[in-house]
Amino acid sequence: MARAIKGMLIECDPSIKSLVVRIDQDYRDIVIEELDDTHLLIDPSKLTFIKKELNRILADNAYNPFDDEDAQAAAVLG
Amino acid sequence: MPSEAAPIREAKPNKLENLFSDDSSTDDTDSENDQLILPAASSRKRQKLAPKTQEAIKKIKETNDDNEFEDGELVAIPLDRPSDFIPDAVSHIFANSDFSYLKLKPDHSARPIWISPSDGKIYLESFSPLSEQAQDFLVTIAEPVSRPSFMHEYKITTHSLYAAVSVGLETDDIISVLNRLSKVPVAKSVIEFIKAATHSYGKVKLVLKHNRYFVESSSAEILRMLLKDDVIGKLRLQSVDEANGAADGLVETEAPKQGDLVIPGTKKNHENKNSKEKGTDTKNDSKNNEVVEGVEDIYADVIADAEDENADDTVHSFEVAAENVETVKKRCQEIDYPMLEEYDFRNDTRNPDLEIDLKPSTQIRPYQEKSLSKMFGNGRARSGIIVLPCGAGKTLVGITAACTIRKSIIVLCTSSVSVMQWRQQFLQWCTIQPENVAVFTSENKQMFRGESGLVVSTYSMVANTRNRSHDSQKVMDFLTSREWGFIILDEVHVVPAAMFRRVVTALATHAKLGLTATLVREDEKISDLNFLIGPKMYEANWMELSQKGHIAKVQCAEVWCPMTSEFYQEYLRESARKRMLLYIMNPTKFQACQFLIQYHESRGDKIIVFSDNVYALQEYALKLGKPFIFGSTPQQERMNILQNFQYNDRVSTIFLSKVGDTSIDLPEATCLIQISSHYGSRRQEAQRLGRILRAKRRNDEGFNAFFYSLVSKDTQEMYYSTKRQAFLVDQGYAFKIITHLHGMEELPNLAYASPKERRELLQEVLLKNEEAAGVEMGEDADNLIGHGVSRRLKSSSVKNQASMAGLAGGEDMAYVEYSRNKNKDLGVSHHPFFEKNYYRRRKR
Repeated sequence: MARAIKGMLIECDPSIKSLVVRIDQDYRDIVIEELDDTHLLIDPSKLTFIKKELNRILADNAYNPFDDEDAQAAAVLG
Repeated sequence: MPSEAAPIREAKPNKLENLFSDDSSTDDTDSENDQLILPAASSRKRQKLAPKTQEAIKKIKETNDDNEFEDGELVAIPLDRPSDFIPDAVSHIFANSDFSYLKLKPDHSARPIWISPSDGKIYLESFSPLSEQAQDFLVTIAEPVSRPSFMHEYKITTHSLYAAVSVGLETDDIISVLNRLSKVPVAKSVIEFIKAATHSYGKVKLVLKHNRYFVESSSAEILRMLLKDDVIGKLRLQSVDEANGAADGLVETEAPKQGDLVIPGTKKNHENKNSKEKGTDTKNDSKNNEVVEGVEDIYADVIADAEDENADDTVHSFEVAAENVETVKKRCQEIDYPMLEEYDFRNDTRNPDLEIDLKPSTQIRPYQEKSLSKMFGNGRARSGIIVLPCGAGKTLVGITAACTIRKSIIVLCTSSVSVMQWRQQFLQWCTIQPENVAVFTSENKQMFRGESGLVVSTYSMVANTRNRSHDSQKVMDFLTSREWGFIILDEVHVVPAAMFRRVVTALATHAKLGLTATLVREDEKISDLNFLIGPKMYEANWMELSQKGHIAKVQCAEVWCPMTSEFYQEYLRESARKRMLLYIMNPTKFQACQFLIQYHESRGDKIIVFSDNVYALQEYALKLGKPFIFGSTPQQERMNILQNFQYNDRVSTIFLSKVGDTSIDLPEATCLIQISSHYGSRRQEAQRLGRILRAKRRNDEGFNAFFYSLVSKDTQEMYYSTKRQAFLVDQGYAFKIITHLHGMEELPNLAYASPKERRELLQEVLLKNEEAAGVEMGEDADNLIGHGVSRRLKSSSVKNQASMAGLAGGEDMAYVEYSRNKNKDLGVSHHPFFEKNYYRRRKR
């Protein structure tokens, strides 16, 4: 008897795809099938989790000038 | 209320006493005594505190009754916010930065600045008609933080105020001009800050006159106070002159004036006319607006004050012996009266004059003149730092200053290449005789013969503490045994503070001038320079200079190169250092680089490609068949490549490592591509941009230079890239982001187009060990001093793992050299005769 699993097709940049695969290695059961460089079949219930993880990881690559400034601001007039 | 609070306060000491008594039973009686005394003491305190606390509590009660406030907000409200201020719906978002209580002046639209009460930041509307004057003023009293096209941000700091005082501005003038310019009344906190910072600074000057050191001040009070100090008082030198002086032993003299001092290259008459014209011009502009005129007037007054320092003023001074100067300086620093150093070079008779003058044909630009007028404002030479963009003629500023002082000069720069450039520039711009110009590098140790002269050297040569060769020791003795009138410190921002201290103390110089384009350091050590050299005297506005055509207009772009999925997978798996190698060697980046080179070469641009990473540099250059220069490239080969780049039409692209960051003068270059960089170094970004600012073709109609920064998407590089740009963005440059290079895929013979090639590249990159990921040590200006000398002595060993069979060729590995080093092609071709008879025979 054929078994069916519900999946969700996502399309993304090659790098994001690699990232999702990476997340899958740590948490398991996210990716059902890697289709090609830009397409993945994933477990629909994990979508929000993946989005959250991606945001967290990619945030490290963004520079926020205000992080530096806050530290300095206190020292000026005080 | 207070009676309730007091017992709680007492409770704590009591508890402590109990603890003590538990430990040692013998102290029991003592602690009892203490207990008896304590309440009495605290009650005395309570009496004192009572009215204050009562008042405070009353206030808190009043405000607490007002239910609109929440507890958190109450704490956050700063003191100078009026009590009747009611926060509106969005106040909590701004927290402490909600300044909506500041009342705008009725004519605020005519005034250009806002001043933030909490951190002393000044925001200037640069589109305002007054902004040009306001900018001149603000640059003097505050540090420019960010200057994009419409809004400028400045920040008042203690150092900037020191600088303002050192060029002769008075506290009251600063405050009154700020008040005139500001849209809102200047906050009390800012006024107090300015007063506190300017109160003591610059009031005391250390002047070298007739070869004697004098402590000078316009107020006798301060000097009297200094003399009472038990350290300084003792060091005062009693001299004959003082008999004529006042009863307190202070000598009164007339305040210095610019008087007849003319900075060469400027014409005194011309200058006077200019200032007059300026005055009338501005008045014409502002005829319609009364307020504006008011501001102009006071502004003009202040500036005039600054320039000739109240001619009728007298100054008081006392003398200290030369050997004690250091102690006095230090002591003054300790008691918060830091001394300004000035060199009265016109009255210095002990040090022989140097025959040096600008050539009559040499003309200096208005901003160079402005920066120099800050330095020689009162006819003496002040020590300090001048900040000009790369390519804006820092060298000429230094030379003109040297020609004004006309004493023995020493110039320190960062590399032997720039040593030669400085020497050559001196000979080009002024009349100094070549035999009076000496060069002190590892190759050249000749000194000048005459009584005075010019020495050009590098920081590392002078600061070296290791064993020197006999020759260089002789030269060092020569340098340290003399008194120098003037020292020029090129690229001051790169030199480590410790080395600086060594240089500054080793050489006896009267005036110091620091030159730099980027007064930023990643390690926040800038304030050290303030102490070691002097305050920042002038900082030019990049955008203004480029509008006036003094430096090239540059289009900046950040090109986002997506990582290929294989590379990104490895990237995620690797250690931090190896990751760097992966994002630099990203095939998409390579393609983007190839495409941009092709595109700009066909436009006739001369291109410099920068890579910090030597491995990537070689890979890219070999694959693309372009010449490259890095730390280990021999001097001869470097010169050869650079000359070919300048004059040979067939060589329009070169690859440079860090060695090219600073001081390489290539006016032909019109396009920059950056493929790898030193983490988030803002300074490096600015220095590299500087390579194209002096483009020869900058005054051509519609000419633009290009600056591309290639960044691998979704990697750490994005973070660094944004950080690096911060400095340039603050100077008003805008970075365009290019996510896709149109037509890149159609490029013929595009590298790494097939997955197979990409996989091979990946294999190769992965086989490299972490060393290859490192940035080049040595020749970089940053590390120049630490590693530059011994670099060659270090043996670098490379470890690779491979199987025996593999090394012997058993794993069907074949070796073919695909990419030839293009550097070799540029070599000298031999005379046909030798070619035929010698080289061909050898081949056979």
